[in-house]
Amino acid sequence: MRTRGLFLRWTARDLRRRWLLVAAIALVLALGTGTYAALIGSSDWRRESNDRSFALLRMHDVRMTLSEGLTADAGVLADAVTRIPQAGQVQDVAERLVVPTLVDVSGPGEQVLVPGRIVGMPVDPPVDLLHVTSGQGLRAGDPAVVLERSFADYYDLPDAGTLRVAGNRAVSYAGHGQLPEYFAIAGGGGGSFTTEAGFGVVFAPLETAQQLAGAPGRVNEVVLRLAPGADDEEVAAALEDELAGRGLAGTAVVKGEEVVYRTLYEDIDGDEQFWRIIAGLLLAGAAFATFNLTTRVVEAQRREIGIGMALGLPRWRLAIRPLALGLQIAVVGVLLGVVVGVVTGRLFGGLFRSLLPLPVWEQAFPYATYLQAAALGFLLPLLGVAWPTWRAVRVEPVEAIRVGHLAARGTRLAPLLRRIALPGRSWHQMPVRNLVRTPRRTVLTALGIGAAIATLVTVFGILDSFTRTLDDFDAETTTSAPDRVTVQFTDVLPEDAPQVAAVSAAPQVGGSAATLLVEGTARAGGEEVPLALSVRDMAGGLWRPTVTGGDPADGVVLSEVAARDLGVAPGDRVELDHPQRSAAGVTRATTEVVVAGTHPGPIRAVAYLDRSRAAPFGMAGLVNVLEVSPAGGVTQDELTRALFEVPGVASVQAATAVTDSFREALGAFTSVLGVAAAITLLLALLIAFNATSIATDERAREHATMFAFGLPRRAVLAMSMVESALIGLLGTGAGVGLGYLLTRYTVEVQLHRTLPEFCMPAVVSPTTVGVALALGVGAVALTPLVTLRQLGRMDIPATLRVVE
Amino acid sequence: MAHPLRQDARPVVDASTTARGSRIDLDGVSRRYRVGEVTVTALEQVDLHVDEAAFVVILGPSGSGKTTLLNLIGALDVATEGRVRVAGQDLTAASRVERARLRRHTVSFVFQSFNLFPGLTALENVQFGADVAGREHPREAAAATLAEVGLEARAAHFPHQLSGGEQQRVAIARALATGNPVLLADEPTGELDFRTGVAILELLRRQAEAGTTVLVVTHNREIARVADRVVELSSGHVVGDGPPPGGRAPVSELHW
Ligand SMILES: Nc1ncnc2c1ncn2[C@@H]1O[C@H](COP(=O)(O)OP(=O)(O)OP(=O)(O)O)[C@@H](O)[C@H]1O
Ligand SMILES: [Mg+2]
Repeated sequence: MRTRGLFLRWTARDLRRRWLLVAAIALVLALGTGTYAALIGSSDWRRESNDRSFALLRMHDVRMTLSEGLTADAGVLADAVTRIPQAGQVQDVAERLVVPTLVDVSGPGEQVLVPGRIVGMPVDPPVDLLHVTSGQGLRAGDPAVVLERSFADYYDLPDAGTLRVAGNRAVSYAGHGQLPEYFAIAGGGGGSFTTEAGFGVVFAPLETAQQLAGAPGRVNEVVLRLAPGADDEEVAAALEDELAGRGLAGTAVVKGEEVVYRTLYEDIDGDEQFWRIIAGLLLAGAAFATFNLTTRVVEAQRREIGIGMALGLPRWRLAIRPLALGLQIAVVGVLLGVVVGVVTGRLFGGLFRSLLPLPVWEQAFPYATYLQAAALGFLLPLLGVAWPTWRAVRVEPVEAIRVGHLAARGTRLAPLLRRIALPGRSWHQMPVRNLVRTPRRTVLTALGIGAAIATLVTVFGILDSFTRTLDDFDAETTTSAPDRVTVQFTDVLPEDAPQVAAVSAAPQVGGSAATLLVEGTARAGGEEVPLALSVRDMAGGLWRPTVTGGDPADGVVLSEVAARDLGVAPGDRVELDHPQRSAAGVTRATTEVVVAGTHPGPIRAVAYLDRSRAAPFGMAGLVNVLEVSPAGGVTQDELTRALFEVPGVASVQAATAVTDSFREALGAFTSVLGVAAAITLLLALLIAFNATSIATDERAREHATMFAFGLPRRAVLAMSMVESALIGLLGTGAGVGLGYLLTRYTVEVQLHRTLPEFCMPAVVSPTTVGVALALGVGAVALTPLVTLRQLGRMDIPATLRVVE
Repeated sequence: MAHPLRQDARPVVDASTTARGSRIDLDGVSRRYRVGEVTVTALEQVDLHVDEAAFVVILGPSGSGKTTLLNLIGALDVATEGRVRVAGQDLTAASRVERARLRRHTVSFVFQSFNLFPGLTALENVQFGADVAGREHPREAAAATLAEVGLEARAAHFPHQLSGGEQQRVAIARALATGNPVLLADEPTGELDFRTGVAILELLRRQAEAGTTVLVVTHNREIARVADRVVELSSGHVVGDGPPPGGRAPVSELHW
């Protein structure tokens, strides 16, 4: 049939007329699919980067570290390795000396004095290579050390310089570098949390380390690489046995159990769950909007389709034009999606690179993930046109060609419509009328805006929840003695130990409170929660947590989440698994204790016990942490510096440092959320713009008629704006409601699963609601302004001339 | 059979509104469209002078430029050449705002394709006309005008619930309700049966008698018989201008 050529030309003409709309809808689709691919795809390249980074530095398969304080002559540990039954499977061995220290890199104007570690290692090891990121590495015969890279980056330290370590000894460093075990620094022991800002690692030639530690010729750690297929657990066990037989107790750890190795991979899985939520939301919002917008464009063609049917054209031919539109959007959307995917991928890549500076960052475009998203991106616009086309060809032709009939179909609302008579000019009725007259279109548009707003509210809501939690935590931490510092001792001490006295009697100290921080586990009703139990004076001291429930001195005070997870309330009893000190040493014991109350802190593990209750736990009179407030006129910095010099002090941290480290630990989430928030903003604006330009097309004739009656442009514009604002209000209302529910679900269900140690209440801040309203109602109401020019240039006679 | 239109209908416009003047003067007016390489001449060197309160029929075959002429007079379109003056105002030099004001207060349209607002009821569509022109008591005026065209019973119906002829009558009522001194009607009887058509013409005649300048476009020679004056267009040229052949006939004598 000849008409095929005609329909193709018609389609081309359609495209020329609304290429901008096609591009804008395609961009909505692209933002959804591209971001989805970039976020979900990040797991693949992160895993790949981990693999390659660990492989590049030849990370050990087994690490054997002697018990604290134990050392051996160099060569003894390596020799022991050759004596184990699996010695044949060991490929490479290196001995190290690892000792705790304090690191002082204070410069003019900034005091940086943190706990840390000296890692003494061969200058050219066959296992665990040092990756030098700037300056130079370790050299034979050169005592210069290398600073851990993220610590150096955090404080913006030069490539070379001098630092001081415990004992106030100056050491020169010549570069920055990385070792696999220190790719990420997170989680100190005993409930204190550390990031790269608070922990300084110094890589030193073995001789330098031995000299600094005052242990010439000694080592305390050996690392091994095994042949492929070797059983690392077996090797670790054999090595432990071999060394224990020589009176050298210690622990052998296999690669899979190294904290950094494990968390680097576990983080990916944990993050991925979270990304899925955000990416899913964005994709759903974009998908819905695309479907919605394409549907509306085709709805406007229903009359033409009806006329075609009346003329006896076969249905498939009538479907060519709408399907061509869907196809155009699909193709452009998928292509733009690759661009968006690459750009957002680079953005996320940059974020991760700076948050987790691995030696190798491999970022391949996630084709597999993108193909999934693209398949959806391809199908959606086609479905979006198929639905209204199908509806159009089902209508009796005689109905389809009736003036205004289709537009006004389904007006069961007509009686209602007549009742909605607003005061004033007749055109004041129009915005509401137009909305009620075409309920399906109104609902579709509102839902399109609603989807974007819901995404926006959810993303911002998650950010709000993070912020609120940390702010609450900050507020709780500083209810009293806000400038206090937490002094951690290297060991558990009796209250009257000289080290304790040395701190509390220091001239810079105003007040102090003794606490004991121990790790334990609470059990109730088959549930188990790990605890960081702080044994402290719950009635006095420098600071007390806010406790709800009963008398805090009655028993253990759990965090609200811990109580919830254990299914207990104040007054119930829990079993507490805890260390117990006796003359024989430290053993573990289980004691039943009453839950005295709960505290609102966000860290699930944090629990408190009054010192008067410590006796049954075998913890009476012991101290390992001292809370200290500065004396009058002494700054927190001065106090910190003074206390670092006291023997036996392992670390000194401002009480607020905990929230700071949390803020940083959540950095990946918040940065990605920031990007997602920007994308949703863009998405919402695009949807509003598209909806308006479609509406302007649909209303062209009515507008021309109004102009013919001399109605000024601003009146017509105002009408469109009121209409847009009403739709925006509907959409935003639905969006904010849905967004709130999604925020609650994400934070309270999904995030609780991903980050069980961290409790967050779901919060949608007034600012977020304000932004949603401003955007969903304000910006949407203003979008008709973009049609100002279009209205001004309208060819009124031509628009009026065309019979619908 | 009850006639759809009230016979005792009074003119909607009282003479006072026409005090603003409603003369129409076209001098050497041409309107050309460029479509790609081709130039379409819709009107060529048209001179036309219409007195206040005249009842003029513009007659011509399809495509002769009738709608174009109305659009120029109604300040919807701008002439390519020549001068258009309506109610003392020169439209050739008028700004967009001035033209909008003229449309609002001086002319009113009945479109060939009705262009009713699908979202407003019949009554509200009519009230729209009264509202825009700034009439007092627009709702009452609208109800009265709708009654004039015999549609008071359909006041609350939407356009899609009306027949083509009923929609056309609503469009006429909407134009009348403005009360503006120049009424431009493009094929106002195109969709109407004989009796209704005659009644509408009667109504339009009475408007002219009350002082409104009425221009009615048609290609029906029979209708032209009731005019004071018939302007004949052909291919954009005025080919005839004068009283209807055989003199003006009363509406009751028409038959088609
Ligand atoms: N926008 C336009 N572009 C090109 N040509 C146009 C345009 N508008 C009108 N024309 C042409 O101008 C001429 C006059 O058109 P007009 O609508 O005035 O005719 P008419 O006398 O009203 O016809 P009918 O009785 O069929 O309504 C026609 O040949 C038409 O094709
Ligand atoms: Mg015409």
